[in-house]
Amino acid sequence: MKKKMSPRAKTEAIWGLAMVTPTILGLLILNYYPIFETVYQSFCKTGDFGKGNTFVGLKNFIDLFHDPEVFSTLFNSVKYAVMSLPLTIGISLVLAVLLNRKMVGRTVYRTIYFLPMVCAPAAIAMVWKWMFNQDYGLLNHLLNAKINWVTDSSIAMLAIVVVGVWSSLGNNMILLLGGLQDIPKDYYEAASVDGSTGIHTFFHITIPLLSPMLFFIIQTGIMGALQLFDLPFMIMDQSSRAWPSVKTITYLFYEYAFERSNRGYGAAIIMFLICIIGVITFILQKTEKKWVHYE
Amino acid sequence: MKKRVLMKRGLALTLSAAVMFSASGCGSSKGSSADDSGSGKTGTLRVAIWDNNQLAGLQEVADDWAKESGWQVEFTVMDWDSYWTMLEAGVSGGEMPDVFWMHSNNAAKYMGADVLLDLNDYIENDDSIDMDNYFEGITDLYTLDDTHYALPKDHDTIAVIYNKAIFDKYGVEYPTEDWTWEDFAAIAQEISDKGAADGVYGTYCRSNSHQDTWYNIIYSYGGKVITDDKKASGYDDPATIEAMKFVVDKILPSCPTPDSMASTGADTMFQSGLVGMICQGSWMVNSFYTADNADDYAWVMMPYADVNGNGQCDSGERCSIYNGLGWSIYSGTKNADAAWSLISHFAGKEGQTKQSELGVTMAGYIGCSEPFADAFEGMDVSPFVDIEEQGTLIFRPYSKSTAIWEDDASMALVDAWNAPDTMEDVLKQIAADMNKTLAEE
Repeated sequence: MKKKMSPRAKTEAIWGLAMVTPTILGLLILNYYPIFETVYQSFCKTGDFGKGNTFVGLKNFIDLFHDPEVFSTLFNSVKYAVMSLPLTIGISLVLAVLLNRKMVGRTVYRTIYFLPMVCAPAAIAMVWKWMFNQDYGLLNHLLNAKINWVTDSSIAMLAIVVVGVWSSLGNNMILLLGGLQDIPKDYYEAASVDGSTGIHTFFHITIPLLSPMLFFIIQTGIMGALQLFDLPFMIMDQSSRAWPSVKTITYLFYEYAFERSNRGYGAAIIMFLICIIGVITFILQKTEKKWVHYE
Repeated sequence: MKKRVLMKRGLALTLSAAVMFSASGCGSSKGSSADDSGSGKTGTLRVAIWDNNQLAGLQEVADDWAKESGWQVEFTVMDWDSYWTMLEAGVSGGEMPDVFWMHSNNAAKYMGADVLLDLNDYIENDDSIDMDNYFEGITDLYTLDDTHYALPKDHDTIAVIYNKAIFDKYGVEYPTEDWTWEDFAAIAQEISDKGAADGVYGTYCRSNSHQDTWYNIIYSYGGKVITDDKKASGYDDPATIEAMKFVVDKILPSCPTPDSMASTGADTMFQSGLVGMICQGSWMVNSFYTADNADDYAWVMMPYADVNGNGQCDSGERCSIYNGLGWSIYSGTKNADAAWSLISHFAGKEGQTKQSELGVTMAGYIGCSEPFADAFEGMDVSPFVDIEEQGTLIFRPYSKSTAIWEDDASMALVDAWNAPDTMEDVLKQIAADMNKTLAEE
């Protein structure tokens, strides 16, 4: 039988509830309501100012599957994810391992790598835009080259990836550092007694024990990369011939929802993206048991 | 009694000035209405605009009106994007400024949604306002089914700005108003040739430089962007094709490469002394007037296209695109009469003349723009005004879905900019797409 709550537990419960109420309200109003509204709008031909929405069923989705731009922009988003994620994770893992040792200036390095995280993304993009400028930019000046960083469609995405990787290194590094410090020293001692060294220890002790954190970073990284919007938007001009090669699906959504006042189609595009992210997350979760080791 | 009112007024003025300078976002203070002294109702009118350059001048014009009416005028300035977001949200939420600017990109949407006050009765009962006094294109723009939804605020035209220092350095003669687009291209090419070693270019024209550059060329060559009934695209018109071929064949070679232009904007390059001349709108005058090297800059009227080849500028051969903002009133305002009184002051002859005098903008009222030419001491901006007499003003092409087809055209032209040979095919494709968009309106 359930025990009755003591007066103290009751007060605690009430206070607890009172404390989370603002968050719950915020979630309901700012997250859940818009989600359902978006789902609804994706089935509508939307009118101006949210008035006069007419239900059109699956029309937006049928249009969407016949729209080559949806797939080309989705391809760009996927391309960004595929290019940026391995780089981000690889580099931040190496950095985290290096910065996990006792060394002079450790905190200084950690701070430097984390700095991009505290800068406004728009400011970062503006600075990179000028560094990439092909005629007057810092990069070409230093390299004494004339590379069309953001106007040549074959390398523009690479330029965006560089900025994306650079700005997310710090955050991933800190997360991985946290993971590294959770690994008990005993394992390493035992391994060294058995004659394991450097690389071998890294792959057979560090990586497996870090896998829960890696899993988390991969999962959030994929979601973030597929939702990329601000970097191409800020760094590139749309009169650049390379623009179609970096235009992401979230930008396409923005274009329809806000510039072309076609909220319904925009909502359909974003629903499509949500489904794709959902499927990827589902697959990841299913494979989790195979390679993620919880102690 | 009187003293108290005066003090109150002074206090309110200070307060509204404070609000004005803090440039607070969405005006949240409700009009502090109902000062029951005197006959009429007084209070505060909230006015929203998007151009900070115009604030000081407009405040001055509004103050004249405030002195007479006893009302206070409180301006809120936002950047372009926030402005439209604020209005969009305001319409749904009901928290709107009483008076605000309208623009050709969004007018159709707002007029069709009962957001703007129907001004017909006010216009009829106000002797100081006669819609025939304004530029027809602007009046038409803010009229839907014979209902007026805004009073013209201003008009803007295009002129060419050139850097005298660059012309001097390479020994190129300054352009005069008696020049054709062919001359323009030749001069630009000369500067590009002579300045190649210094990285200096003759001119600058991007695939999306429509309103300030290639729209003007299209109309000067007798082409069009959209038909008069706004039902069909003009991009496949032979004259339009000829004009756009001229742009990519004759003007583009003296511009920085398309890749360079996609990296650095026209104003930046011009103000850095890297481009000899560019076409610019009158709304940009202040930015060049206050630039570091403003003394080197001079304006000249747009060139003409000698279509009939008789060696002189005939009617319709020299075109400038013009556009104009409108003063609108929110349909749900509680202070409709005062709001009308304010915009009728802004749009009336006196207010329009003062707006030009102060160099805010040229007038929407025909014949009130002369003072604008003298408003910038040390910089002659008369070419913007002169073209009204000596050229043809063409209203910026628009329809209900301008925002869609204009962007589509600019995007499609990127290909033609990079491969000039394809211009004709690109234009035909643009026309086909635009016709589809227009059909769906």
